[in-house]
Amino acid sequence: MTSMASLADNRVASYLARLSTALSAVGPAERDEIVREIRAHILDSVSSGTDAAAPVDRVLRLLGGPEELADRYTTERLLTRAGRSFSPWLLLRTSWRWAKLGIAGTITFFVAFIGYAMALALTVAVFLKPFMPSRLGMWLGPKTLNVGVPDHPEAMRELLGHWFVPVIAVAAFAFAVGTTQALRWLISRRSSTPAYKAPAQDSVRAQI
Amino acid sequence: MAILASLWQSRLYGLEILRSLSEKSQLDVAEGTLYPILSRLKAEGLLQSEWVEAEAGHPRKYYWLTAPGRHRAREMAESWHTFSASLADLVQPLLGGKHR
Repeated sequence: MTSMASLADNRVASYLARLSTALSAVGPAERDEIVREIRAHILDSVSSGTDAAAPVDRVLRLLGGPEELADRYTTERLLTRAGRSFSPWLLLRTSWRWAKLGIAGTITFFVAFIGYAMALALTVAVFLKPFMPSRLGMWLGPKTLNVGVPDHPEAMRELLGHWFVPVIAVAAFAFAVGTTQALRWLISRRSSTPAYKAPAQDSVRAQI
Repeated sequence: MAILASLWQSRLYGLEILRSLSEKSQLDVAEGTLYPILSRLKAEGLLQSEWVEAEAGHPRKYYWLTAPGRHRAREMAESWHTFSASLADLVQPLLGGKHR
């Protein structure tokens, strides 16, 4: 019995040590707080567990792997920061991590990726315009409208002329600002309970 | 919303929140999901926490709603109530007179 208890203690100690290591992105005070809380949860769960054979294993399994748990903490912290941030890099990075947790995050990441890619492409076009003044433009063809260098300019008409740089610069800025605001809104509107285990047969499985 | 709602009436620690959600709403939140969310809700100022020495021999971290947390919980509850009432109207014909 003593050896079993000792084995269980070793498993808990090992789990908490790995959790602490995996929380390297978190400050020491907060890391200690997290480890302390997870330790308290394990002790409480074990003392009230009904599976007498291996309660520690069951409790640790329900918590998920220590690296996975640390990853969730890191993602939640990023979401908190991103909801208040105007940094495209932070918003993009956060939406990428959020995308790993579900469909809402995946949609948010696509919004981020497409929005910022458009802003970047338009910005590049603005800076390239002086180097290819007659070829780079907003071209209207029989069936297409594009910003760039067309293969057959003779069949197309350039629309902006000298207005290309200011109009495209404003469009790039609008894409960047619009994407940033959309991401901030999506992240701040995020549900408080993003994931549920499979519950009883007739109970609710939903994001509420 | 469910986590905020579970703290509406009293201070609870993590395991109590899980049990409250499971018993009152049949929502089984994963342990590995709950604690990071509690951490975020605290960082957002919706929850406050305190370590309390317990009879179990180790301290427990209790959470409670702050004023902004109560405000947010009420807002979310109102939105959910409106949504669920609309859905109930939609499915009412399917249930006939059984659930009037």
